Amino acid sequence: MAVVRRADPVDLPIGGVAEEARGATRARLRRWLPIGIGLLMAAAMVVVAAAAPLIAPLSPSAQFSDSVLKGPGAVERHLLGTDEFGRDILSRIIWGARVSLEVGLASVIFGFVLGVPLGILAGVRGGRVETLIMRCADMLMAFPTLLLALIIVTALGGSLVNEILAIGVALTPNFVRLARSLALTIREQDYILAARALGSGQLRVMARHVFPNALYALVVVGTLYIATAIRTEAGLSFLGLGIPPPTPSWGNILSEGRQYIKCCPWITTFSGLAIMVAVLAFNLVGDALRDLLDPRLKGE
Amino acid sequence: MFQYVLRRLLVAVPMLLGAMSIVFLAMRILPGDPCVAMMGDQATTAALADCTKNLGLHRPLAVQYVDYLWRSVQFDFGKSFRQGYPVSEYIARMFPHTFVLVVASAVVAALVGIPIGIVSALKRRNPLVDYPLRIIALLGLSMPVFWLGILLLIVFSLHLNLFPLIGGGDLDGVLAMIRSGEVFSQPRDFLAGVGDVLHHLTLPALALGFTLAATVSRLSRSAMLEVISQDYIRTARAKGQRERLVVYKHALRNMMVPLLTIIGIFIAIALTGTVLTETVFTRPGLGKMLVDAIGARDYPLAQGAITVFTMIIIFVNLVVDMLYAVVDPRITYR
Repeated sequence: MAVVRRADPVDLPIGGVAEEARGATRARLRRWLPIGIGLLMAAAMVVVAAAAPLIAPLSPSAQFSDSVLKGPGAVERHLLGTDEFGRDILSRIIWGARVSLEVGLASVIFGFVLGVPLGILAGVRGGRVETLIMRCADMLMAFPTLLLALIIVTALGGSLVNEILAIGVALTPNFVRLARSLALTIREQDYILAARALGSGQLRVMARHVFPNALYALVVVGTLYIATAIRTEAGLSFLGLGIPPPTPSWGNILSEGRQYIKCCPWITTFSGLAIMVAVLAFNLVGDALRDLLDPRLKGE
Repeated sequence: MFQYVLRRLLVAVPMLLGAMSIVFLAMRILPGDPCVAMMGDQATTAALADCTKNLGLHRPLAVQYVDYLWRSVQFDFGKSFRQGYPVSEYIARMFPHTFVLVVASAVVAALVGIPIGIVSALKRRNPLVDYPLRIIALLGLSMPVFWLGILLLIVFSLHLNLFPLIGGGDLDGVLAMIRSGEVFSQPRDFLAGVGDVLHHLTLPALALGFTLAATVSRLSRSAMLEVISQDYIRTARAKGQRERLVVYKHALRNMMVPLLTIIGIFIAIALTGTVLTETVFTRPGLGKMLVDAIGARDYPLAQGAITVFTMIIIFVNLVVDMLYAVVDPRITYR
């Protein structure tokens, strides 16, 4: 007679459910943790930039002749030390966050406003309009972002507005390409056919149907471009082509501190760290949002 | 194949023309007289007129444009305003410095980035391996090359005194020895020269290479993920082939096409990176030359450098596109 062994009927399901729950929690954690960390860092940066006059311990341009090139903590009032003019590094980094965030957000908005309508127009209209728009975008894309921004800033001169304009123009072809590729997919959908059948004109289709459906993917990629814009701004300022001193920007603090790396490495270390944390924050948010919302964008 | 190459060439030509037109317009049409910018507000009218004539700015814009295109095609970018000698000569002298930096950083980026990307893709279900590797990649992507360069200089040049703080070594001397054949008659001097160049090259290549490795690792991770989800990989596994063989024999080979894309993207990022890297390490090269030219308002030199950068990027992309067709015959021009 065959002996049938039975597994404990109580243990297995409970263990299975617990394991499944743990797995689900792990998956949720894996999905939301990077977004959480990134959002927290980005939010902290926004708060620091917005509340700079309130939280900066000293004026970013105030010079203290008795505390020139002092290290972190060497003088009580200068937590992160001072630069060659005796200016407080912490206060300059806090105020520098404003410049970075302003340039980062404004240039991405500029690129978005200029590039997305053109991209959607190219995708929906097709034909010669598409060829013309895309060839122009390709020409601009022959230049890497920093190089194109560098050309424009050289021609216009270094200032906040010019930097926004330069980086915005450099980012525009990226938005054109993405908006076009999204519009090409969306225009084939049934609801576009339905809208057309109901008599909607091309402009209405683009504004009321294509744009809203492309918006979330564009916003996700836009978040990643904020990181690119912040890095480009820092690069331009580092090269002396961005916002001219004494207005503090992370790039120009780092550039000024370069001459003193032997005696006073804290100037370059802290300003560089600020750039890295800001870029990391927006990279984390953008990456995680992209993976979460639209796996098709992984290659963008 | 021939048709594909021809069509790709036909697309590259107008693109190059367009990119060169952007450079021209940026330098000529946007506000500000180049001569005033170069000589300052205090310059006399006669000096300004002389400068305008020397730069050919007195001619109609269309004539200047055609002249610029024609001369650029012949690699004649005029004379440097500050240095006084031909821009093309200056570019020819600086190009080898930038070239060795790009090649060395490519080696660093490939050695670091590709293995990280592949391991991260293959071990993606093991968070203990995948997470740290992805974090390293993300850090590399977020770390500005000029900051990493400064950190390396602080540690390895200033504190440990292992590498030089500035300069690019005697690359010109090494190249002269190769050209004159002294490489065979004086091999010791030659090797000493090469050693000096490598000594100067190490930190810049590490800084640029590490930041590029982040991009390379992410691209190779997604390329590997795409390849290992293919049917032939499942078939190879179903046949009972060992995982190592599946990776080496099937997956890596098929990563060739996506890896070619990486090379194209890589060159564009690396060339931009040289602008910052050469500035940080005070190395001679096209990037530093461009920054110095902009700083000195030497427009012919800046224009020449930007044009050469653009030409290189378009040329590399063209070569990569052509290699696609060689590596994967299924690819045709659409």
